[in-house]
Amino acid sequence: MELKGVWAGYKIVWRAMSIFKRYYVVLKNINLNVRSGERVAIIGESGSGKSTLLKVILGLLKPIRGEVRIHGVSIYQLPWKKRVQTIRKVGYVPQDQYKALNPSLEVKQILAEPLEVLKLDKKTIEQRIKEISKLVGLPSHVLDLTPDELSGGMRQRVLIARALIHEPTVLLLDEPTSALDVSIQAQIINLLNDVYLKLHPTMILVTHDLAVAQYLADRVLIIKDGIIVEEGPLDCVLRSPKSEYARSLVLSYYVTASLNRNELI
Amino acid sequence: MVLAIRAENLKVGYASEEGYVIWATRGVNLEVSEGEALCLVGESGCGKSTIASAIAGVLPPHSITEGRLWIFDRLVIDGPRHRFNGVRGRTVSLIPQNPGTSLNPFITVEDHFYYIVRELHKLNREGARKTALEHLRMVGLNSDVLDKYPHQLSGGMQQRVLIAIALASGARIVVADEPTSSVDANLRAQILALINKLRKELKLTLLLITHDMLSTASVCDKIAVMYAGKIVEVGSTQAVLNKPYHPYTRMLLESIPVLGSKKPLKPLPGEPPSLLEDFSRCPFRDRCPFRADVCEKEPPLVPVNGTGKPHYTMCWRFKEVIEHG
Repeated sequence: MELKGVWAGYKIVWRAMSIFKRYYVVLKNINLNVRSGERVAIIGESGSGKSTLLKVILGLLKPIRGEVRIHGVSIYQLPWKKRVQTIRKVGYVPQDQYKALNPSLEVKQILAEPLEVLKLDKKTIEQRIKEISKLVGLPSHVLDLTPDELSGGMRQRVLIARALIHEPTVLLLDEPTSALDVSIQAQIINLLNDVYLKLHPTMILVTHDLAVAQYLADRVLIIKDGIIVEEGPLDCVLRSPKSEYARSLVLSYYVTASLNRNELI
Repeated sequence: MVLAIRAENLKVGYASEEGYVIWATRGVNLEVSEGEALCLVGESGCGKSTIASAIAGVLPPHSITEGRLWIFDRLVIDGPRHRFNGVRGRTVSLIPQNPGTSLNPFITVEDHFYYIVRELHKLNREGARKTALEHLRMVGLNSDVLDKYPHQLSGGMQQRVLIAIALASGARIVVADEPTSSVDANLRAQILALINKLRKELKLTLLLITHDMLSTASVCDKIAVMYAGKIVEVGSTQAVLNKPYHPYTRMLLESIPVLGSKKPLKPLPGEPPSLLEDFSRCPFRDRCPFRADVCEKEPPLVPVNGTGKPHYTMCWRFKEVIEHG
């Protein structure tokens, strides 16, 4: 996957002369190359453009300038139908697990939905649901429940299962653990590592927690106000953060872990 | 030492529509001395926010209480009776969980202060503005904030304003209900450092509710770990974090990702029990690697000897737990 000089934003005024007056620009000149099978974590504070970046990759938000390539295909130059076909190779775990699951469907219907769109026959769908629920650790009685009867950890597992069910090669995760307790968070982190070992998808993880990124990513990217300020393996970033923002971020972790508590104030 | 908060077998339940009672806390014994900082940790649904609202006196009307709670020698909960008047907001104040929804969007920051100190200290506009400025300075904000509406402030600033409001009442006990759960990592350190600084300057008694065990180590003197409506381990921060006696505390610590150390995460198996379960057995039994036949009975909270400081745990087999690790 490849992002070349991407500028993206949301339209605020329709007939303005300049692009920068017409849009509220969120992402400013993002260049990103992700090899297949690589795991990248995107880190930033709220409002820094992490979720917008995922929208651009998902094909939901056309960038103002620049190019997005998935498996060498520039997705925004394709007509809509072909674009959808390319984007089928991407699985997406959305951030808000309360809004992301249809409350009136049972879990097995939720999992079957993406496959029904692909017009697979019933037997294959059932087989696939069985495989995937074994992979993410969903007990079989959960398949007959509706999302509001599930706990937070189970709901997150359903979301991961739904993202993986059509065998995507790229997996996008938007804050997969931020709404969970630490004990359940550890379960999900281990689950995602297992999934990676078995399926080897390209993983792009959005988070604001460096400690989570440490377990789930080979490389981190720190975004501040729509600009990539830091890029590299996490160990290097921890040891010698180049930008001011990354330094304060790393420092704040050590402060919270009470190693160096008086430096901030 | 004056006891600021003392709870004796405190039970808080919520009546359900079907007529039965769901007990969110099932008999909590707690003692917090004046000027001490206690941290309540636990997973969601373990009853820690219920304890916070019981102490702050903001229990919802459909809640049912048993047991007793004293705040500075004043009996505020005595069985089903509540006597929070004069304590709520004056002696105890609450820093709520969600800064975005806790401020009134229709009034400015100054008005927030005005309505509170008008009731509590009978101050007029001018006096309120002065108090507001004084407390905003304390939390590191300046006078520009006074005339702003909550939506004009960032999340961190809203949280600071809430802390300032909680302090403006002149309360001696501050209950902070997950003050850092909805802010970024960068801000979290700042907010915790701020709470720590203010606590020392004003000699406040602090009750911090959180699910983030490590980040509170720098703030609190004591930690109480809650599980399924009861305190399962309580002791000084150092002792609990370095030498936990209860298997739950131990496993909770092992499941926290720590930056810089690549230890493998050991998540707790299973999920926390529903509060409708039968609690004649040890509630942690099903997830515990140390379970034995004794665990069919619920263990009492017993003192652990050795450290000199009071350290209690609720486990039959705590000696085996310590020997094992």
